Amino acid sequence: MASTDTTAVNRKWYSGMATTEDWWAVWLGLIMFFAGLSSLWGWELTGWFAKTKTWSEFGDFLKPAGKAYQGLGQWGSFIVTYIVWTVLTCIGAWAMKLDLKKFFWGWTVLFLITWAVWIIGHEVHLKALKAPPSITQSEIYGDNVYCKTKVQKCTKEINKELKKMGVEDIRNPDPKSAAEAVSKSKNSIRMSWGLQLGGGASYLLALIVGLIIGNFIKPLAEFLKEAAKPEWFIKTAIVYLGIKVGLMSMKAAGFAFDLALAGAAATFVAYMLFWPLVYAAGRKFFRLPRQWSAVLSSGISICGVSAAIATAGAIRAKPIMPIMVSMLIVIFAMVELVVLPGFYTAVAPDQPIVNGAAMGMTVKTDGADAAAGAILDELMRAKAAVKGVIWEEDWILTASIMTKIWIDMFIGVWAFVLAIIWVYKVERQPGQSTVGASEIWFRFPKFVLGYLLAWFTYTAIAVIAPDLVKAAAAGAKTVQSPMRKMFFMLTFVAMGTVTDFSKLKGMGRLALLYGLALVIIIAPIAYFVAWLFHRGLMPPIVGS
Amino acid sequence: MQADLELILVHDGERWIAREGAHEAALVSAGRTLPELDRNLAAELRRRGHFAGACVTVFMGFDFATIPTWLRQYASHYFNRYVTLDLSQPAAEPDDDPGP
Repeated sequence: MASTDTTAVNRKWYSGMATTEDWWAVWLGLIMFFAGLSSLWGWELTGWFAKTKTWSEFGDFLKPAGKAYQGLGQWGSFIVTYIVWTVLTCIGAWAMKLDLKKFFWGWTVLFLITWAVWIIGHEVHLKALKAPPSITQSEIYGDNVYCKTKVQKCTKEINKELKKMGVEDIRNPDPKSAAEAVSKSKNSIRMSWGLQLGGGASYLLALIVGLIIGNFIKPLAEFLKEAAKPEWFIKTAIVYLGIKVGLMSMKAAGFAFDLALAGAAATFVAYMLFWPLVYAAGRKFFRLPRQWSAVLSSGISICGVSAAIATAGAIRAKPIMPIMVSMLIVIFAMVELVVLPGFYTAVAPDQPIVNGAAMGMTVKTDGADAAAGAILDELMRAKAAVKGVIWEEDWILTASIMTKIWIDMFIGVWAFVLAIIWVYKVERQPGQSTVGASEIWFRFPKFVLGYLLAWFTYTAIAVIAPDLVKAAAAGAKTVQSPMRKMFFMLTFVAMGTVTDFSKLKGMGRLALLYGLALVIIIAPIAYFVAWLFHRGLMPPIVGS
Repeated sequence: MQADLELILVHDGERWIAREGAHEAALVSAGRTLPELDRNLAAELRRRGHFAGACVTVFMGFDFATIPTWLRQYASHYFNRYVTLDLSQPAAEPDDDPGP
């Protein structure tokens, strides 16, 4: 039993603000959010961050994100990046009463593994997509021109070179001029082969490395355990995604609103179908006790582990129930994360937003969903680019996170409803306990506050002071892209590290029910509901 | 909601245990189920003569620090409960030994 000095009891509305990962995701998120926002006053407080480059020559891996920090060089900015994030995460770890020494060393190794994998994933053969002229006019340009940056930028560079060379019809240059323009274009490169995985290469690699550590190098997994916090990392990344969504809303406010509304409706409908079906299957076909059925239904239907804990708490179940169900959720989420992005990309390449939304409703745990959404975003855009369609990045990821965030927010309300039913109906005792509405607040995912604040702030700037948009976007650039992606990468490695498939042994009926419910109930219904509410929504085309 | 008594609640794998604090004379009660815990707590309060004959509102806050560390990142709350105990009823024998 814990002594009183380690108790973590939520008594007041502000309990846990300094000691929980959920709140620390908000603090880490907001520190960089405000640092980015300082560009409104002409400051550049985030430009020290090391940014990965698609590389073809060994050693040319990174560069400082901001112009004012170019003097740091690639390794200088990498060291500053390590120091800043080590200090911030160690303060968080100390406040959360983690073992600081273990956290520091674990974090350092995790950070180095993550960046090594991230850099490898940026090797040009793995990452680079074909340049659009090489797809649409391969007879002129050849079909082996790849682009080391955003593909539309390569098109611009090639056209610029053609203009400089005095080619009159730059849409139909002669092959010789085209070849010369390609060779002069800074970011175009000719290669005999390329996997064209985009940013997905790094993500997939991170996941594979994490899983190898978690399942085959267990002493290292144990060493990293104190620092491997996928939920903390992903919640921080989601706060940064709020900035991205805010910036995207500046350009496509209507689409962002449609996406949010469709996500809310789909989540509500899906949830109303998921929970009763899984609960009934658990009770009727697997003869599970009421409490086990309820905890498992919430775990698989809503948002995984958080929902399992919330439901178990609401129905006053013994803690062993959510602990066992959570093990199942974490392991199955990893299976979904590995299988679904490739599956959706293969079977429905023309339904990007539907796929994203379905992902959010199918993959349990925020970390696995965001990871799956990010991989799906990269794979689908890469596949569309092969056909010459260039979708704006991160809308598919946003669709997957949007549905998940609605689900997260719904957890508290559902747990409250269940608590009322259980306390006053199922296990009614005369003169017994009551349920306080504060239970909703304690279960509300606090990182969502950071996400919404970031999103609405940038949207408000666009609406109230449109002349400040450019300055605001300049500061947000580093936080919403490379910094957010670093946290995605950390999440992938950490998530793989903490996933040990051998834990499934001995789970028997529970694991069988979970797997069957996932394949027969959750995945098909989620896809149908996602299609129902999101069909017709497509990510904006670049340059449109 | 105001409580007359605040306790920390944990589960040791077999029993729910409500404890006032860590010191030796602390009020401790346990039970295999929550109703049993409540009955035993009422009996213990009567035995000690606390709140004699009154209706007592007890706050039991679950100590989330007893949840495994790897799980804490997903949530930071299990449940809290308010229980009303009527100590004016005749005392009953405790159902379960509170343990150490």
